[in-house]
Amino acid sequence: MSFEGLPKGSTDGRRSPLESIYLWEVVKGLAVTGRHLVHNIFHTGEMPTMQYPEEKRVYGERFRGRHRLMQREDGTPRCVACQMCSTYCPADCIHITAAEHPDPAIEKYPATFDIDLLRCVYCGLCEEACPCDAIRLDTGIYEIAADSREKFVVDKEFLLNERTRGTR
Amino acid sequence: MAKLTIDGGAIEVADGTSLFDACRLARGEALPHFCYHPDLSIAGVCRLCQVEVEGMPKLTIACNTTVRDGMVVHTRSEKVRKASQQILEMHLINHPVDCPICDQAGECGLQNQYMAYGLYDSQVAESDKVNKAKAQVIGPHVILDKERCVLCSRCVRFCNEVTKTGEMGIFNRGDRAEIGTAPGRELDNAYSVNTVDICPVGALTSRDFRFQKRVWMLKSADGVCAGCATGCNVRVDHEAGRVYRLKPRRNAQVNGSWMCDEGRLTYKDVHADDRLVEPSWRGQAVTWADAKARLAEVAVGGFALVVGSAHQSLEELGLLKLVAPGAVFSGGLAGSDMGVGDDLLRSADRTPNRRGLQLAGLPEHDAAALAVLVRAAKGAILVHGGDPAAAPEVAAALAGRQDVVYVGTHRRATAQAATLALPGATWAEKAGIFVNRQGRAQAFAQAVARPGQAREDWRVLAELLPATAAAPASLKALREAVRAQLGLGIDLDRLPADGALTGGEA
Repeated sequence: MSFEGLPKGSTDGRRSPLESIYLWEVVKGLAVTGRHLVHNIFHTGEMPTMQYPEEKRVYGERFRGRHRLMQREDGTPRCVACQMCSTYCPADCIHITAAEHPDPAIEKYPATFDIDLLRCVYCGLCEEACPCDAIRLDTGIYEIAADSREKFVVDKEFLLNERTRGTR
Repeated sequence: MAKLTIDGGAIEVADGTSLFDACRLARGEALPHFCYHPDLSIAGVCRLCQVEVEGMPKLTIACNTTVRDGMVVHTRSEKVRKASQQILEMHLINHPVDCPICDQAGECGLQNQYMAYGLYDSQVAESDKVNKAKAQVIGPHVILDKERCVLCSRCVRFCNEVTKTGEMGIFNRGDRAEIGTAPGRELDNAYSVNTVDICPVGALTSRDFRFQKRVWMLKSADGVCAGCATGCNVRVDHEAGRVYRLKPRRNAQVNGSWMCDEGRLTYKDVHADDRLVEPSWRGQAVTWADAKARLAEVAVGGFALVVGSAHQSLEELGLLKLVAPGAVFSGGLAGSDMGVGDDLLRSADRTPNRRGLQLAGLPEHDAAALAVLVRAAKGAILVHGGDPAAAPEVAAALAGRQDVVYVGTHRRATAQAATLALPGATWAEKAGIFVNRQGRAQAFAQAVARPGQAREDWRVLAELLPATAAAPASLKALREAVRAQLGLGIDLDRLPADGALTGGEA
């Protein structure tokens, strides 16, 4: 076997006597840790660690967070239940049932609109497919937590509600 | 015979063939069209099927041109392509393009042909379009959107030529022209939903299917309508274990391109609330293992009376005879499930397989005679399908008996009266063969999964076979056995697409 071309410092599996007792190597490692510790104590501003949840990372404008449903001026959903989003969805996480709208000018509306947030891969294809700009992933919300699987399936009211859907 | 050249290829067709059909043969696909329909007269109004014929000064519509020997035709030339694109653009001038809320989207002539022949940018602003009435209910089964209509007149011709009821018409002229029902009339004939099928756009849509499902999500199986003895060929559109609609499948020998509105709704019975979904012993749900043990208890001495039904497939009726070779056989209640027929498609006989029942040699009995047979039975009784106990005389005869086994699909009177009820499959949940009123054997395929613990009927019957009879290994084997048993000269496992006559009087 030839070890030509291996980076400098590589061994061929054999250790020197000093290395094989480990002690000196442990001391070397601790020195690195200690150097960072002392450095960070005096330069807290440079630390990459964030004090989440008091501090939060700022994401870009185009970050895809949790979905929301857009409203018409009268507060009803813009969605016309065409099911383009659920057809396009690669994770099969959108489930819509359509119904006849009492206003013949609107004709069709979603009776239910459920998104399974555990299945969603946040790819954004649903907002791309939507012909009515009814679904957006622009809330910036990435903290999605619940204590049961059922609670991750969010419904139309939740996605439409100004308070729970979040704003940007 | 006429020899002609289409797109450079030579083709020979019978004299009198329309150029449209000749082009379909030569190209392997139809020319773009809206108004042409094989089972309606030629209207020549959509102008989309224009082709170039050498020697003719202008383009000509293929649907209204008859082939002539020596014709040289071009269907893919630049001139033709441009013409069909411009005609399509004209059809779309006032179209609302409300595809997101349109049920036709996915199977729409405008969408498909725009993608195939259009692909231009619209020159008409949405605000310049002529608006017309939307979502008008024009009959018990049909809803009309006048804006989406391209005035192909197929629905008008259907009502004039097929049902001869003449409810529909085109009113006004120019861009105000619109489709509608005649004043004071409703589109309420018994075949009205066919107008929805032949409408190439979303102008006429079905009220039953409205907003139920986007059509691209549906899967299809070839079926045969179980609504009456005509046996119209249908396409069963289903998704996730649910049937959403039935559409006619063309069979020139049986139903042409049509089916009746009543037949379309027969799928609702498949998903009825009173489906029998698990074996039941004296009204208590049991497992199949328990049911088998109980069966041995009930039918310890074999069956003395076997009652079939005209709702079951030919294979099942054949197998039924093997279950109890020495028993008395009945085909169920004579004259049950009768309705009103007409001279178009609907039969008064509302069972799909009464001819099959006759073929299998199961004589029907009236209620009194069947009650006598039930009382005379010195052993267990097997009832397969149908609902003979719906007749009070039969119900009275069955009452109190502890040896009645029922194989069926719904928890109706007979299932209630039976000691042991075993869940079978409806026509949508199994494959089989029905023999229609012409004596034509037609195969249907399974569309959806069976609910709960229901099983294919022939597998249930195979469990009931006496130890001396070998159970069929597969449906194919069963079909061969039934063919031999009934002495039929046709291969039941490979029936032709338009069915095969079983012989006997038509």
